[in-house]
Amino acid sequence: MTGSPFDIELDEITLAGARRGQVPACENIFRKFHQPAYSVAFRICQCRETAQEITQEAFITAFRKIRQFRGDSPFWGWLRRVVVNHAISTVRRGGNASTVEFQDFHANSEGDQNQMGLAMDLESALASLDTEDRAVVWLHDVEGYNHREIAGLFGKTESFSKTRLSRARARLRNLLDGELAGRKRTSAGAG
Amino acid sequence: MNTSKVHIMQHVRQAHEDPLNLRSLPLVTPAEDDWPPIEAALIRHARKQRIVRYAGAMTAIAATVVVAAGLVLQFSSIGPTTGPPGPAAEPPVTVVQDRSQGEIPGPVATPAVSPQTTLESLIALSQQLEGRLRTYRSNVGDLPAGSLVYQVELQDLVVQIDEELSMQPDSRELWSQRVNLLLDLSHLYENRLRRDYHLMASL
Repeated sequence: MTGSPFDIELDEITLAGARRGQVPACENIFRKFHQPAYSVAFRICQCRETAQEITQEAFITAFRKIRQFRGDSPFWGWLRRVVVNHAISTVRRGGNASTVEFQDFHANSEGDQNQMGLAMDLESALASLDTEDRAVVWLHDVEGYNHREIAGLFGKTESFSKTRLSRARARLRNLLDGELAGRKRTSAGAG
Repeated sequence: MNTSKVHIMQHVRQAHEDPLNLRSLPLVTPAEDDWPPIEAALIRHARKQRIVRYAGAMTAIAATVVVAAGLVLQFSSIGPTTGPPGPAAEPPVTVVQDRSQGEIPGPVATPAVSPQTTLESLIALSQQLEGRLRTYRSNVGDLPAGSLVYQVELQDLVVQIDEELSMQPDSRELWSQRVNLLLDLSHLYENRLRRDYHLMASL
């Protein structure tokens, strides 16, 4: 278990069907992996429309090239690579627009509200990062990529990945400890 | 190892891998169902692939027909009639040459037959190719697995055509198909001979 939201098992029958180009099998795969794919695309580019485009293009590419999947590693890892490659290539082309969105958070209880508040802070801090910093910290900390893999995605050296990760984490910590806490104090004082 | 130790190790590992607990963020839900455009793109792609495959097959067939037609023309322009071809009348074919002479093995002689009709020329050509194939078979070792499968398929098709020819012996179309299949078979052996020759030459 890697902790990646992509880590979903896929049965051999569905995979074989998709390899043969059967549309229902492809749809089955899409339904299983749509949300994690969209999530990672959104986390990297921070824009719903761009994330939607990335997800669509990535799935089309994956289904067209599914015969290239050799089966020596889990399918989800291969599919995630396709999605992340599309997202990074979009980011490198500059085709993204950062907008912070909170509509995915829904609190049901007081405990949930606290959790939701923390998540919103984290979300907001993440959104304020530079696009490349955000992609690096997300791929490393959430998706479990190592520095070599990240460097490969960006076509840069490992030290690029290490520097970006360190900078992104420091910035996130500052934001969470300082700026957002300060904002909370201000709003509490005003209330 | 006790459970508290495991917990501590997990905590340390998580703190190292995800110190800001970014994994606690929920998955983002897509606003729309993206499947319809993907499905449409897949169907378009599959249609395009079918067209490409069909075009490829048609090109291959056309090429075979052109080669066969060329052979028939060459065949009909050479010499006098030797009479109606029968199963025992096998035209002479010179195929295998001495490799030490440094020439690529392959068919060199075409029998002199002047068919009166296209059907006759096709039958004669079919016989010539049969003779050529017999020589090839006796001179070529085992074919590689991929070619062997193809060879078996082609031979099966020849058998099917022969069955149909026993019902309609004068069908020009069937004879033409038979010639095409035999040409494909002889190309298979010629390629093998050529490969063997180059292998020997490289030693």
